[in-house]
Amino acid sequence: MTITENLFENLRLELRRGCLTLAVLAQLRQEHYGYTLRKALAKRGLEIDESTLYPLLRRLEAQGLLTSEWREEDKRNKRFYRLSGDGERIFAQLLGEWQDINAAIHLTIDNMQSAEKE
Amino acid sequence: MELLDRYLEAVKKHLPWERQDDIIAELRANLEAQLEDKEAELGRPLTQGEAEDWLKQIGQPIQVAARYWPQQYLIGPAVFPAYWFVLRLAVFWVTILYMIGVALEIAVRSPSWTAAFEGVLRVPGVLLSTAATVTLIFAAIEFMATRYPGRWPAFAAPTGDWTPGALPPVAQEGARGQKPRSYAYAVAEVVFGFVFLLWFLLVPHYPYLLLGPGAAYVHGSPFQFAPVCVQFYWWVVGLNALQLGWRVVDLLRGSWQGPRRAQRITMQALGLIPLVLLLNVRDHAWVTLRHPALDQARYGGAMEAINRAIYIGLSFMCALAVLQLLWEIGRTGLNLYRKRAAAMR
Repeated sequence: MTITENLFENLRLELRRGCLTLAVLAQLRQEHYGYTLRKALAKRGLEIDESTLYPLLRRLEAQGLLTSEWREEDKRNKRFYRLSGDGERIFAQLLGEWQDINAAIHLTIDNMQSAEKE
Repeated sequence: MELLDRYLEAVKKHLPWERQDDIIAELRANLEAQLEDKEAELGRPLTQGEAEDWLKQIGQPIQVAARYWPQQYLIGPAVFPAYWFVLRLAVFWVTILYMIGVALEIAVRSPSWTAAFEGVLRVPGVLLSTAATVTLIFAAIEFMATRYPGRWPAFAAPTGDWTPGALPPVAQEGARGQKPRSYAYAVAEVVFGFVFLLWFLLVPHYPYLLLGPGAAYVHGSPFQFAPVCVQFYWWVVGLNALQLGWRVVDLLRGSWQGPRRAQRITMQALGLIPLVLLLNVRDHAWVTLRHPALDQARYGGAMEAINRAIYIGLSFMCALAVLQLLWEIGRTGLNLYRKRAAAMR
């Protein structure tokens, strides 16, 4: 991996980190266990490694943003997660923040493109 | 699936022990569901090779387990700036104090090359133990800050206890546009000052450090220095030590960039004392004969010539030092007058 590729990879991971949390919180407004959550996100175009997603669920639960319960489904015990009350409030704030950032970036890019065209 | 069991067992070994079973049960449920999906897609069980590829893609057991640990730092980003600042200060001042200690020990006990060399050899050990101590203290602070975040607000988050007005002024250029003395320059002055002092303290015991091969000639010559030269030597040592102390204080106070007129004038005035002391020696006898009764006839004339040359040299040096002192006093007075006049306008 060249220095540029390495730099890009680091920046990409940094950019993804916060977005993944937001995506997981968004998806967990509906109850999921780890594997179905991963599949649901992948179906929407957001692939996440097992070794990233499952520990992330634990961390978000430890922070009080998720609640979980063990339940049997298809003859197998699974741990189901969903957004907690705090999680819902913080998700709404984060979503607002993300939308503002997204809008600002789009505006900046649009301005640059129109300036280049002129 | 036996391979999956082995994989999960390997992951378990590296997990936080109090949550091992819970995490493995969850991971097993997720991976088994994934395996079922894969096998349903293929319409057959995975081959050994396919199962290995799948587990390899998930990741090495130690790396998968590591993700379940909280992020741990010996010294985290919140504490690191304070740690780095203190570490640099500690290493610098320990070096200075250690060098003072070595210089004093050598001067007081037995000045020798071996003692000086041993003192220098001990420097890396002293620095390493200083750095290790500071690191341990800050690792403990980091540990406490992580465990009890509310009790360590100063390190955990920036506080509002500072005022922009208390920030140090921007370095001013000198009167003639010279750059202000840098910190590195001020440090170098102190370090080389110590080295010079150390060297100078060794000179009486190892005259060749000053005279080179001529030391052997002086040693075997019929001449010797008068006792006043020893007094002169200790005056020079004292003046250098004073100047060095002054520079160390400047560094400690952070005032190494400030003007040093008072310091220069004081040192020049004090520097006149040993010169005057030498000039006032009775009969101007700085060099005498070791055995006057034996050598007077043969070397008496040479001794007088040497003392006469020393007298001329000393008189010249003394006059130069007085002129330099007057010049410095005059320049300082003029600068003060200009400043006062500018302030009154």
